[in-house]
Amino acid sequence: MVEHRISVWGRIVLLAGCVLAFVVGLSPAWAADYPQKGKSIQLIVGNAAGGPTDLGARILATGLEKELGIPVVVVNKTGANGQIQLTQVALSKPDGYTFGTVNFPVTITGYLDPTRKAAYNRKSFEPLAMHVVDPNIFAVLTKSPYKTVKDLVEAAKAKPKTITVSSGMRNDEQIGIVQLEKMTGAQFAQVSFTQGTAPSLVALLGGKIDVHCGHAADVLGHVKSGDVRVLGVMDDEESPFLPGVKTFEAQGYKDYSASSRGYLLPAGTPKEIVNILSGAMKKVMATEEHKKKMAEMGLSVRYMDAARLGKFWDETEAMVKELEPMLK
Amino acid sequence: MDVIQNLLMGFSIALTAQNLLLAFIGSLLGTLIGVLPGIGPAAGCAMLIPLTFQMGPTGAIIMLTSLFYGTQYGGTVTSVLMNVPGEASSAITCLDGYAMAKQGRAGVALSIAAIGSFIGGTFATIALVFAAGPLTRWALEFGPVEFFALIMLGISMLTGLAGKSVIKALMMGIFGLALAMIGIDPIRGAPRFTFGRVELMDGIGFVPVIMGLFGLAEILENAERPFAQMVLARMSTLIPTRQDIRDSVGPILRGSFIGTALGLVPGITNSASSFLAYVAEKKASKHPELFGTGMIAGVAGPETANNAHANGALIPLFTLGIPSSPTIAVIMGAFMMHGLIPGPLLFKEHADVAWGVIASFYVGNVILLILNLPLIGIWVQILKIPYGILCGIIMAFMILGAYSVSNSAFDVAVMTLFGLVGYLLRKFDFPLAPVVLTLILGPLMERSLRQSLEISQGSFGIFFSSPIAAVLLVLAVLFLIAPAFKFFRKGKVVMSGDAEAA
Repeated sequence: MVEHRISVWGRIVLLAGCVLAFVVGLSPAWAADYPQKGKSIQLIVGNAAGGPTDLGARILATGLEKELGIPVVVVNKTGANGQIQLTQVALSKPDGYTFGTVNFPVTITGYLDPTRKAAYNRKSFEPLAMHVVDPNIFAVLTKSPYKTVKDLVEAAKAKPKTITVSSGMRNDEQIGIVQLEKMTGAQFAQVSFTQGTAPSLVALLGGKIDVHCGHAADVLGHVKSGDVRVLGVMDDEESPFLPGVKTFEAQGYKDYSASSRGYLLPAGTPKEIVNILSGAMKKVMATEEHKKKMAEMGLSVRYMDAARLGKFWDETEAMVKELEPMLK
Repeated sequence: MDVIQNLLMGFSIALTAQNLLLAFIGSLLGTLIGVLPGIGPAAGCAMLIPLTFQMGPTGAIIMLTSLFYGTQYGGTVTSVLMNVPGEASSAITCLDGYAMAKQGRAGVALSIAAIGSFIGGTFATIALVFAAGPLTRWALEFGPVEFFALIMLGISMLTGLAGKSVIKALMMGIFGLALAMIGIDPIRGAPRFTFGRVELMDGIGFVPVIMGLFGLAEILENAERPFAQMVLARMSTLIPTRQDIRDSVGPILRGSFIGTALGLVPGITNSASSFLAYVAEKKASKHPELFGTGMIAGVAGPETANNAHANGALIPLFTLGIPSSPTIAVIMGAFMMHGLIPGPLLFKEHADVAWGVIASFYVGNVILLILNLPLIGIWVQILKIPYGILCGIIMAFMILGAYSVSNSAFDVAVMTLFGLVGYLLRKFDFPLAPVVLTLILGPLMERSLRQSLEISQGSFGIFFSSPIAAVLLVLAVLFLIAPAFKFFRKGKVVMSGDAEAA
């Protein structure tokens, strides 16, 4: 019966685990022989299987395996907006055989929130590489009176807290909105959609909210079919997926906000290992095949090396701290 | 007619040998994943995605979608045979399905569930082909305000789940709502009742809780008697009697309708669909007091509804490009990885893929029916294992399932705790179904309530500005006060009988 087989398998797995633990325990992490043949790298993903972070990580892992010559195993550790996964990565051995995904800005807003009692902060990690920068957008129905970001801002100033905008919980969308509020003095009625973009997109299409704040991939089909208009992209360059849509910057609002996804290692990982892994990622991300796969999901690859990611992290943290009073 | 022609073209694609094989593999894997508690359809689809990289888009999506609705067939098996829900959406089937197994009617329960699933899935697919447009417009009417009213209507059904005592049912309803409060506040992000445990930040795990309340509590209760005397079930026929079929027609039709309608509304889970279908059956039945003692309607309704929901939920994906559940989000990811954007333009730009996949839904449901009916004969053999041994296997199965939900030993502890809680509640004759109802609907209610109030900036008037919401709320109030009227008329509360035999 099935059940008996499980118990036999259980024993085999247990035995294999013991042997593996013994072997791993004996071999210290030397940067010189990284990546060592016969070992495998674990990539711990903090989001559910099948989402954009997970799919991006899986596509990257396939390329990394070829580049490094050892298996890269993707493990999903979901829960508490990545807090469970980040705790696990922070506590793992800094030998380059365990690394994890990191999402900005939610990782930062997470550990800066004292009620969350995160067991880690900026210093617990070694930045590895940036993978994807997915800028926020403001989208309205085609029949909406708002044609530009300016129309929207003026309307919100005239009637504060009446224009409904889908927002999130201390995430990129909320940061994009409060930055705009801060620089213009406009006030929106933020409606919290914390279960992914689908419900807020439905609310937009059904006319229940005025503005959907999200990402290009949410609305690609609706823009093509002519149901939805994108007012602007919160980036310094136009989105390749939304040709002809101006950035907020080009419309006079220096509002940059994005959901950015990268990778990190536990603090204390030797510099050489960081560079080997980050370099391998750079190669994979530069291939046409990788870019094409990501583009099909509406994502644009934007590699940053470890040092630049570290700088980005510090800047984003400073920005979040400044906005903190508005994120309540 | 255009639609018929397109559909015929779809069939010509879905019925190629390769696509048939993929649909079969998907259905088989789905059934197995459904049988295994813990691993749900979303995880199953995600595991399969890397395998589909090399296939064409049509084949890849056929395999993933057939896996998805296959899980809804498989989830029933353990609910009926072991009182352990294989999928969250089959939790309610435990009540009457397991009671039927105890009477030696496990085969009948599973047969009716498979037939109901087939009809539900096919019904929703027909709706997708012929009425996707109007149905989508209907779904778009459901913003946070209408969503809240719909959930309130669901919660008002609570009294219908009462056993001998309405008070006890209400207490259990509140208990479920309290459990639903655990976790990060859905709007402002503050952790509530997490006691510093990161594991509780996403709320208490639904699957571990129901496995504890139903499966483990049952085993604990049985442990009071010597196992040698326990005979779980006499083996008997697998074929439903004429009476069974007659009793199932209504529930299957209602289940098809409820599942398809709720499947359209993004955010409503298919466990909510199956649960509300159960409550509807109880309300519709001439013998509500017999529910929980092995009523076929209590299996047919919810099992039909969860399949209709699974296929109905694909309608917004095809018409709007909106994934209405985590599993469908994974399937949408598969579309995009093959360079296709689900939504209104899919039918124009890639008609072959769209219609091929839709036709495969019919094919997949037929495959699942053919696959599942003979399997029932094998599944019920499990009941021949002496209970003393079987209960050990069931417990191992539950621990494995609780662990595999999120690879966390914490969930095993949650399941164990709720096993003990469930045992005590049974001893004191508290009904368990209301806990599950409010645990499913509580978070949906809270989120939509607070979203509505954010839209109106704090004014409750918004709930009366929408006609749909107003009607639903009035219905909810009527459901709630109906027992009180009976109280005044007859001098005592006549509630719908003893529900809790599970």
